[in-house]
Amino acid sequence: MTTLKRCRYLPILGLISLFAGAASAQQVDWKKELGTYSGNTLRIIMIQDPWVGAFDTIDKEFEALTGAKVTVDAFGYDQTHEKEVLVGTSGSDEFDVIVLDSPWVGEFAQGGFVEDLGPYVAKDAKIVQFADFVPSFQTVSNWKGATVGIPFGAYFVMTHYRKDVFAQAGLSVPKTIADVEKAAKTLTKNPKFPGLYGTALNNQRGAPVGQAYFEYIFNFGGKPFASLYPGSPDPYADMTPMLTSKESIAVVKYFKEMLKYEPPGALNFAWDERATTFSVGKTAMINAWSVRTPGFMDPSKSRIADKFATTLYPAKAGVKVVPPLGGWVMGINKASKKKALAWDYIKWFTSQEIHKKFVLAGGPPSRLSTLQDAEVRSKQPWASTLFESQAASFADCRPRIPESFQIIDTIGLYISKALNNQLSVEDAMKQANAELKTLLKKKGYMIHE
Amino acid sequence: MAMRQTASSPAPRRRHGWRGGLERNASVLFLAPAIVYLVLVSIYPLVYSLYLSLRQRTLTEPGNGLFIGLKNFSDLFHDGLFHKALLNTFLVTAVSVALELIIAFAVAHVFAALAESRTAQVLRTVFILPMMLTPVVSGLLWSYILNPTLGIANYLLEYLHLPPFDWFSSSTTALPTLILVNVWQWGPFLMLITMAGLLSIPREHYEAARLEGARWHHIVRFIELPALRGVLFIGGILRVVDNFRLFDVVYAATKGGPGDSTEVVSMFAYRQMFNFFNVGYGSATTVAILVIATVLVALASRLLLREEAA
Repeated sequence: MTTLKRCRYLPILGLISLFAGAASAQQVDWKKELGTYSGNTLRIIMIQDPWVGAFDTIDKEFEALTGAKVTVDAFGYDQTHEKEVLVGTSGSDEFDVIVLDSPWVGEFAQGGFVEDLGPYVAKDAKIVQFADFVPSFQTVSNWKGATVGIPFGAYFVMTHYRKDVFAQAGLSVPKTIADVEKAAKTLTKNPKFPGLYGTALNNQRGAPVGQAYFEYIFNFGGKPFASLYPGSPDPYADMTPMLTSKESIAVVKYFKEMLKYEPPGALNFAWDERATTFSVGKTAMINAWSVRTPGFMDPSKSRIADKFATTLYPAKAGVKVVPPLGGWVMGINKASKKKALAWDYIKWFTSQEIHKKFVLAGGPPSRLSTLQDAEVRSKQPWASTLFESQAASFADCRPRIPESFQIIDTIGLYISKALNNQLSVEDAMKQANAELKTLLKKKGYMIHE
Repeated sequence: MAMRQTASSPAPRRRHGWRGGLERNASVLFLAPAIVYLVLVSIYPLVYSLYLSLRQRTLTEPGNGLFIGLKNFSDLFHDGLFHKALLNTFLVTAVSVALELIIAFAVAHVFAALAESRTAQVLRTVFILPMMLTPVVSGLLWSYILNPTLGIANYLLEYLHLPPFDWFSSSTTALPTLILVNVWQWGPFLMLITMAGLLSIPREHYEAARLEGARWHHIVRFIELPALRGVLFIGGILRVVDNFRLFDVVYAATKGGPGDSTEVVSMFAYRQMFNFFNVGYGSATTVAILVIATVLVALASRLLLREEAA
């Protein structure tokens, strides 16, 4: 049903950006580039992620330049989505800048809740330097030719492992699924490492285990839907669910097998619980979004600050790795009455110069130039793994269609049932497959019986 | 005396003009704020929910809202997850209310007997503290305490050389744990009203019963339970309705999992409305919950009235 067209602005923007490359090194004269907005307040809605504090410091510079006041309202993941959709559906101008997660892009674009930033980017191409953003994130920010938002918070899932423990146990860096399984088995309840467990996966019902499925399926050589795979010419052309394929069943069986090497209570673990087990030294390795890495490095929050390293996401031997990609783009609320101010803020905040400042203050690097910057790499040693990850990532690794939330939740429910022995793995995936077929058919997607 | 006064006082004169009209309509005017409030806060949302429940409406798809009659209700009653949510809600309600009534009755007895003691007064305040907590805070608090790896509950079990418990992390223990938290939080409410009921029973009834040689279970059966029947019934009904709205603890601690083991009707409706934005289907769910809860309360009321009449 849906045909994902290439963004009509991307090739032009890419060319302009390449020619403007020399200008990138120069400092932008912000006084000239930004308007004056004394007495105006710009309101931003976003996720309460660890880097939110960096906005307070950086935004002061924008306030001094423009006279505008910037306020940030940050919420938990589900609440951010809920509030943003309600802002969009009610046509409220309460927020001017809306920060969107990658799977919500299609929902907000099709709902008509955000401005198409294509013309804005074209006007300020020299400042925006769109081609400098991580390429897969350039795709993420576009929906059927419209630029839904400007990237600023690209995340990748990396493997974080205890280098001290791995060295003592004589284990190699966990590159493949088999390496991870072997290391988890060796390190769990090992008398040499009392109280340590091999790993912890996202097993909690709903989005946690649903998203984990999408992180693993491509790395097991499978695909969740007939035309959703890296390199697909149109990822949403054929949405026949493939949840009963042998690769898909293997993913869920792997989740179940790994429970043996996870701490007690792992069936109810989501991102936070897993990160806590790693930072207190209870697990030897976890796959975690890069946004959590600075927290693991901070000795005031982590007992393993100098004891871990990062590596690329694991894949089955012989399968090309697809590191999970996620993160945030800044869009403009269609109902905002301060669109000029909102755009000035976005182009300023996401510019090369300010983005580097944001990254050095704890933000996730989202530009190729930032990922390769020597100063950034010395402060964030994992930037090299991120650079490697971005090159292999797939923009649609989690579907970006409006039904994304429901798809992930449905898969998450049935996998949770399988992990809890309420259903066999095969029956769980069969039921999930049937439910998704009904849902997607009802929504008008092409489905093969 | 009062009758004589009424008879001797002159008949009120009927006022005319705007002042008379104002007096005649005073009752309506005094009721107006409550009526407006009810219409805005209860009746309008209810009618709008009914309207939405008959439509195929997804908030993120502008312009849709096709009238589909009772299809949402028919889908709902064929939805396996809704069946499980209903079953869990009935289980949580029945077990929680029963446990709360038993615990409340026992604890209220102790506090009523020690009503004058200062220590008992302090303990009573401590006992009712959980009720004052915001339910979502209580859910978060318990999910930290009962975290199998990092929580204090399993640490204490380990300290006592007992095996760790899964609490919210297994499909077999999650629902009992949810009931435990529910009883911990709302047991004090029933205790308070039961204690008030116990303190209102005249002392003479107890004295007379003891003179007749009644033992404690005779007193409970023939004096206290009949006297408390109305109080316990109202408390029980309020808790049944509360349990049909049980949401915060589930949201904070389990999100309905593991699997569908703690899925309750409010969580089901919330997910449809605010995660998937299927407001048509979600509204049908809320209407169904309202109807089921109302029927339950009406049946229970009728039963009580019949017993009272007998």
